[in-house]
Amino acid sequence: MNYKNRLFVGLISVVILSSLFHLQLTEMGTINRAQAAVFWWEFRIPRLVSALIAGAGLSVSGLLMQNLFRNPMAGPYVLGINSGASLSTALLVLGGFSWMHSTIGLVGSALIGALMASMLMFAVSLRVKQTSSLLIVGLMFASFCGSIESVLQSWASPEQVKQFFLWNMGSLQQLNAQQLPWFASLFFVAIAWSFGRVNALNAFVLGQEQAFQLGVRVKALRISMLAITAVLAGSITAFCGPIAFVGLAIPNVGRQLLRTQDHLQLLLFCLLFGAFFLVSCDVLSLLLEPYFSLPINVLTSLIGAPYIAYLVLRRA
Amino acid sequence: MIRIQNAHFGYDKPLIHVSNLILEAGKVYALVGLNGSGKSTLLKTLSGQLALLEGEVWLAEHSLRLLNAQADLRAKQLAFVSSRFEGVDQLSVFDYIGLGRSPYLGAFGRLHASDKHKIEALIEHLKLSHLKLKRTKEISDGERQLVSLARAFVQDTPVLILDEPASFLDFLNREKVLDALLDWVKDQQKCVLFSSHDLDLCLEKQVPILTIANGQMNRWQGDSKKELIELLTAQ
Repeated sequence: MNYKNRLFVGLISVVILSSLFHLQLTEMGTINRAQAAVFWWEFRIPRLVSALIAGAGLSVSGLLMQNLFRNPMAGPYVLGINSGASLSTALLVLGGFSWMHSTIGLVGSALIGALMASMLMFAVSLRVKQTSSLLIVGLMFASFCGSIESVLQSWASPEQVKQFFLWNMGSLQQLNAQQLPWFASLFFVAIAWSFGRVNALNAFVLGQEQAFQLGVRVKALRISMLAITAVLAGSITAFCGPIAFVGLAIPNVGRQLLRTQDHLQLLLFCLLFGAFFLVSCDVLSLLLEPYFSLPINVLTSLIGAPYIAYLVLRRA
Repeated sequence: MIRIQNAHFGYDKPLIHVSNLILEAGKVYALVGLNGSGKSTLLKTLSGQLALLEGEVWLAEHSLRLLNAQADLRAKQLAFVSSRFEGVDQLSVFDYIGLGRSPYLGAFGRLHASDKHKIEALIEHLKLSHLKLKRTKEISDGERQLVSLARAFVQDTPVLILDEPASFLDFLNREKVLDALLDWVKDQQKCVLFSSHDLDLCLEKQVPILTIANGQMNRWQGDSKKELIELLTAQ
């Protein structure tokens, strides 16, 4: 077996092992059988599935964005896609719309926000070619969205503020069993789309002019890439809150370990390693829970931010 | 083969007019003209990046207008090499050349055994074996341009268009690129059109020359460099 096959087999095993360990940790003392079954379906499974899907989905979203922007430093968080989703969610939660509490309201608003933010950033990227400038615009956009959220908070009731604050910390516990099918189907549609476009994505690595000469319908591909990244980042942000750096870091790890631009390998890697990474982060946060509470967004930033800084320093 | 009939080329206003021109298969044509004469406009139109303003153009058996509407068909008729490929992080030379086969691949982009065989044979033929496993960012400008030729060759199209393929290269690599093109068309019966500023090399290798001057593109019939320069600079 060659290096790459061993790597993928290894990844599949760690995803399974970390998932089993994760299920083990969410054990809750002695309860009777009926309670255990409810607990299993209402709490353990949704939390594990949240972690798996959020990790895999954000990584794939980052991979697609890095291809679309032709920039390895692109990702849903640094480009403000999460912020867009966050802002539109804030408008609904803090604005006090009651239908916000329905799944459709939550997902819809985050999706619209994510889509608008990604279109805005894409328009900016057509004018601004430099990586650093693009990232600065992304950061400015994120902080602008943050400020509006602060303004909204000063108007909202304490109850609404608390609800929004909890969401904003990022949590894998918010998803309930009724929302699970929604979350999973959005994810599967996006992933199936990506796997169906591997050939075009590979050609797109050369830039749109060359991709066009290789028979790629460039405009259609660009629009669908934007839509798919927004669906992934938007739905994950809606259900789990903003989770930083996963989308930016994991594809870079993949390219470094696999030394390739083949998107079939990279997609598989992002799915497996992204899922493993977020499940592991959640395992860590569950293990530390008795001592202090560590929200998932804090944990991914603690690990992701130094890695990204290292990448930037290495390239400079 | 490229056939152009009474066509106007330009961004939105007509810049160049070609009344009747046939470029045959099995030949390499050099397109020469001053900066701003419209070489790029012409090549961009032929390669589908700009719309044809008026008239008719055929690439191999197909009308250019039809090809522009069918991206997948066009990629099997025409390959294009730009003046500079800067390399892509972590993309290997072999994989880069392999992308030339992408018009023929399925959704997952897997190369078939026959594709791999084609690529290996071409790498061997162009003496690029030592570069095969290197990353496209690690090799020199000259090597990258030869590798780009290889990518266009494996695309296996009847027409190949190159926009100043050697403008960033030294004299040795310029000759290598042109020799590779001449060698390739010899037994493949392809039609190659490239733009160039290197009049000496084009004359030395006796490639048929097309001139663009005063909004006209013509097949050049003279034989001295002096005449050629006079034609290109005439007002």
